[in-house]
Amino acid sequence: MYKPLRFFYTAVFFSAVSIAFWSCSGNTKSELEQEAEKLDSNKSNLININGTLFCIPSPLQTSMLLKQSGAKYNKTILNPAANISKYSTSVKKALNLGVYGADLGYVILYQQTQDALAYMSILKKLGDDVGISGAFDEALLKRFEKNLSVQDSLMAMSGEAFRNTDAFLKNNDRMDASALIVAGGWIESVYFISNYTSSASDKSKIIQRLGEQKSTLDNLIKMLTPYYQQEGYTEFIDALTDLASDFDQVEMKYTYVKPEHDEANKITTIKSTSSALVAPEVLTSIINKITKLRNSVTQ
Amino acid sequence: MKKFILLLAISIWILPATLHAQCDTIASLCVKNLTAKYISDGQQYRALLLSKEVAEFNATFYGGTTYRLAACSGLKDGSLEFRVFDKQRNLLFTNIEHKNAPYWDFKFESTMDCIIEAQLIDPNVKSGCAVLLISFKK
Repeated sequence: MYKPLRFFYTAVFFSAVSIAFWSCSGNTKSELEQEAEKLDSNKSNLININGTLFCIPSPLQTSMLLKQSGAKYNKTILNPAANISKYSTSVKKALNLGVYGADLGYVILYQQTQDALAYMSILKKLGDDVGISGAFDEALLKRFEKNLSVQDSLMAMSGEAFRNTDAFLKNNDRMDASALIVAGGWIESVYFISNYTSSASDKSKIIQRLGEQKSTLDNLIKMLTPYYQQEGYTEFIDALTDLASDFDQVEMKYTYVKPEHDEANKITTIKSTSSALVAPEVLTSIINKITKLRNSVTQ
Repeated sequence: MKKFILLLAISIWILPATLHAQCDTIASLCVKNLTAKYISDGQQYRALLLSKEVAEFNATFYGGTTYRLAACSGLKDGSLEFRVFDKQRNLLFTNIEHKNAPYWDFKFESTMDCIIEAQLIDPNVKSGCAVLLISFKK
């Protein structure tokens, strides 16, 4: 047989054996595992992917709340496009991909179409640098430009592009970059909230939303912790942990109420109630730390 | 020996690619459950499961928002059980009670931290990729 071809078939054989081994490993249990199963036959094994999987809310949802609360468009809170030249490390690039993504959502929501186009171009450039050019490609830019007046389409396209980015990075075992993008988006969205805690017409909702970030921040830290020793992560995670110590002072209240299911419309209404109580001095400290953290990310 | 190590390295390289490809196919089918009314949260959650294993996802859902959760595994709908609990482990929803629905909408009256568990339904399936997609209504 032609040598490279034989080599290829042998590699495929090895892969098949590996897959078969992986697939069957659920059946080959050690005595210890069998014993553990006997002891607790009702409980299933929980699989942990880097601990657990953490779902961080979209920054766009925060911008939606701001708009609903009567917050006016404020371009000065966004990360200026010119800052892109400052990001030379992979950590900074990934973080600011998330930051600019949150900015994009904000400008779309406030129907600032020219700004939206500018941020989309920045995302394309940063995406190229991070090695995810497929998610923010020319085709998407053209689609985006064509739909500038259709806000819903722009929001959907932005969400889809970030989901594709996430999938691409996970496919390529770059979970660290994926986590940084999510972190950057989160930081920018809480920075938005911080800027509106005193100016929006419905401040209480905004302060409440800030307090509600307590467990999201915890999840974010857990998501990033596996990369703590990597260059550029340590200081950043330390700053998040310091911020979390302030959030620990936010008092959460929760009351369970039985949910209602609507089978016909495939919808469940979750009626449980919750609230976040943020003392004024805690609020000030959180805002200061968020501002400092956000500036360290974008500068 | 060198050849063996090289082949092993190649097979180790091919294996994750195969598994990722499996997840990608499932995700592309799962996305069809999210209609135009819903905006993606920008992430794709995935876990490789053995038959009895349970994937756990921690999530925060904002009050006043309607979410759509789509959970898929395999090429057919209804291959994955997903359960939603609050932090006190009160069961809020399981798709098993709703004909193994691959997606469901949730209207949250208050912001809540939830735990979503996903598990393969068919006990004869030895392994599979579980994909969870979260989207919200504008």
